[in-house]
Amino acid sequence: MTGAENPQATAGWVDEVLLAGPAGDVCLRLPQPVDRGTLRRLVGEAQERMTGAGLRPGGAVALRLPPSLAYVAHLLATWRVGGQAVLLDHRLTDHEVDRALHRLQPQVVVAPVRSGGGALRVFVDVTAGVSAWSDRPAGSPHAVIQLSSGSTGPSKVIGRTAEDLVAEVRRYTEIDGVARPGERIILLPSMVHVLGLVGGLLYGLHAGVELCPPERLSGDAVLAAVAAQDTPATVLGVPFHIGLLASTVPGGPLPQLTRMTTGGELVPAAVARAFTDRYGVPLGNMYGMTEVGVIGTDLYGRHRPAIAPAPGIRVREQDGELWVSCPANPYVGLADPTRWADGWLHTRDAGVVDPDTGLVTIRGRLDSQVSVGGLKVDLTEVEATVAGLPGVTAAVVVWDDGISAYVQHDGALTEDALDRLLAERLAGFKRPRALHLLKQLPRTTTGKLVRSVPSLREAVS
Amino acid sequence: MPGQPDLGRADLVSMLAELTAKPADQVPDRVGSMELAWLVHLVEQRYDRRLDLTDDQLAGIRTVDDALAVFHTSLTAPADG
Repeated sequence: MTGAENPQATAGWVDEVLLAGPAGDVCLRLPQPVDRGTLRRLVGEAQERMTGAGLRPGGAVALRLPPSLAYVAHLLATWRVGGQAVLLDHRLTDHEVDRALHRLQPQVVVAPVRSGGGALRVFVDVTAGVSAWSDRPAGSPHAVIQLSSGSTGPSKVIGRTAEDLVAEVRRYTEIDGVARPGERIILLPSMVHVLGLVGGLLYGLHAGVELCPPERLSGDAVLAAVAAQDTPATVLGVPFHIGLLASTVPGGPLPQLTRMTTGGELVPAAVARAFTDRYGVPLGNMYGMTEVGVIGTDLYGRHRPAIAPAPGIRVREQDGELWVSCPANPYVGLADPTRWADGWLHTRDAGVVDPDTGLVTIRGRLDSQVSVGGLKVDLTEVEATVAGLPGVTAAVVVWDDGISAYVQHDGALTEDALDRLLAERLAGFKRPRALHLLKQLPRTTTGKLVRSVPSLREAVS
Repeated sequence: MPGQPDLGRADLVSMLAELTAKPADQVPDRVGSMELAWLVHLVEQRYDRRLDLTDDQLAGIRTVDDALAVFHTSLTAPADG
């Protein structure tokens, strides 16, 4: 099927679920307050610009914007037109973006023509430029397309319908421990990825929770954002952000701080304790995936590391792997029964489900996917990219408390040259932190590349 | 603060070791945006002042040594206010 199904009919959900409410109500603090009336006006202007550039109902818009008011306005405008939003992390390289655009054929591309505000900004001041790209309809009926690092080299394309997004937003409203109407979310995760997008932006707009990104990415700035208003505040982030706060000395009492909630990866017990000792509020934990959104939570930190399935979500264990209920195949152009079949998503996470309590404990990945600051990276994508570079004859990429590449080369390649080539092809968060150039990679007696970290380390020394 | 601040390479490596839970001698020399945010944060905590870095300064940092040079420049500049 091509084109959004009944795009005109589905577009109304934006007004009904996200943008409704009194015009004077503040929905974002950047830190200047942005009220609903202003946001509705900005969304209308973005609609005009995009339709003027050729966007039609059922067409796709590629959003290549950093977190910004422009991103929010163009995302909501895309949906209001009845279009499909293709979310491209602004950290992706031109090479990665070109590949995505050729595959997904958006009608328009929205990218910054100017951005500012300084270093380490969580929210950026952006002037967006809209340009025509193709005249084709979207390749699937989804409202949002997200790219996930893929195991076969190029990214996996994951689609979610408007109905599915609305269902997740409503799921959040039923979870005990999320920020309530009139409260605030101090928003740290990227709104291009599922936690920041649905758990932050869409839920916040729906529930009347103010979204307050800190002025910059530092512990002091997060605490300043909490202290800026009198209303209760939940800090939403990934485990990296717990470390930032645990190592920051608050200047005084923070009665507004209600809790911190993170998703992304398991949090070491010592890090969790350092946070709760310092702030005396719950450290909540969430488990979710791009394909389905929030799967389970432990927002009071009572079951750590286990989580309870979110309302309406079923989780089962099959041969040591967690399967999650997911009515439709979320993968665009991919029918792989080992990933999704018969209404179940095979998470590739190892885990167990307690038969008495239903609590779910995640034990780690069953494949080569790792989490870098909450962003998923498939090591086989990195390895395929490294192995495909000129001058490289073989490569092994492993996780060694960080992405490490062991590279066999033809003799002419330097580490600097390799680094430059990778910077053109892989977003920063996917790039190896350690590069080891070798004349010969270790191999088994049958000639296969050795992947054990100790053997690779030994080969370097 | 006259002269060079007492911030050495070993300090940055030990900060990164804390982040990555690795022994200091196994901390990679290359730093990404997350490592950089962590270093800026801890250096600010240590000196109790804000490092006013530009996007260009941050974008130019690829290694621990690059970071050290930029932090020295920033710490020896007069503090705001």
